[in-house]
Amino acid sequence: MFTDSLIRFTTWLTGGWLNIAIASHSWVVPALQTIHILSVAIVLAGVLLINLRIAGWAERSQPITAVLDRFLAPVTAAVIVLLLTGLLQIVGEPARAIFRSIFWIKMGLLLAAFALTWSHRPAFAHQAAAEGAQAVGIGRKALAILALLLWVAVIVAGRWIAYADAWPGAPS
Amino acid sequence: MSLQDFAQWLSETKLSMALTDSVSAFPAIESVHVVAITLVVGSIAIVDFRLIGLASRTRDPRELIRSILPITWIAFATAAVTGALLFAANPLSYVANFFFLGKVSLLLLAGVNMLFFHLFTHRHLDREGALLPRVSGAASLALWVTIVAFGRWIGFTLSQ
Repeated sequence: MFTDSLIRFTTWLTGGWLNIAIASHSWVVPALQTIHILSVAIVLAGVLLINLRIAGWAERSQPITAVLDRFLAPVTAAVIVLLLTGLLQIVGEPARAIFRSIFWIKMGLLLAAFALTWSHRPAFAHQAAAEGAQAVGIGRKALAILALLLWVAVIVAGRWIAYADAWPGAPS
Repeated sequence: MSLQDFAQWLSETKLSMALTDSVSAFPAIESVHVVAITLVVGSIAIVDFRLIGLASRTRDPRELIRSILPITWIAFATAAVTGALLFAANPLSYVANFFFLGKVSLLLLAGVNMLFFHLFTHRHLDREGALLPRVSGAASLALWVTIVAFGRWIGFTLSQ
């Protein structure tokens, strides 16, 4: 069922003007991947500082709310660029990613990592005006470490798309 | 010993053969390399944007550098070790690849830029908006963007 609709989606994309435009210039895919990796750099550095700050291991001179203010917006903007450059890579080569379980695992991990990172915002909202030391519960610290591990898992899953086997019956 | 000879010698070592024989070693090392290099570039970009004056402007640049640099160095060491292992898996192809040689040269340039900053440019940090730190940050950002691009292009131009 799911595979069938993905095959229909692939057939619909293949031969379209954007598919042809991307596939007919050899520099487009590496250029998209370069922008994709640079956006990953923004996301990973941002979420590292956010989550290490909450765990109490980095940027300790800064209030948690200040670190969230500084990095949540660029992280979110970079995630949008990642979705766009990822989508364009799928349009250029529809069969490469979407017929592999690891791609859908990556999307699930991304959703969880993104939601968990944003969940810090309401959790620390009441501390916005507080000065000085901000007490962080052990649960919130554990969530911060989990969020960071999830982001790393997203990247590893992404790299594995190039090596994983496609589902049986998938177009090549 | 030329670069070619070194690559030839390396390709015949036990390490190189083990890396080539294993199905999962290359992607596993590559995954760690990607995590490390994105952390290098991302953490350096935070400092560069501060030096240029585009972000973190309320932060004292020296204090920001002290806070971020340990992350950069740990990530860089990891990227260098995993990068060397990836190189060892296929040395003859890499030394013949324009983008690989270009990437290594640009890495050296980025190192020179960083050295110049720590030796001279940092003295100009006290005056907000001074030209030298801004040039240093912009050069660093441009170099690292190009390094990432060259790195990605290696994957598309490597002859087996």
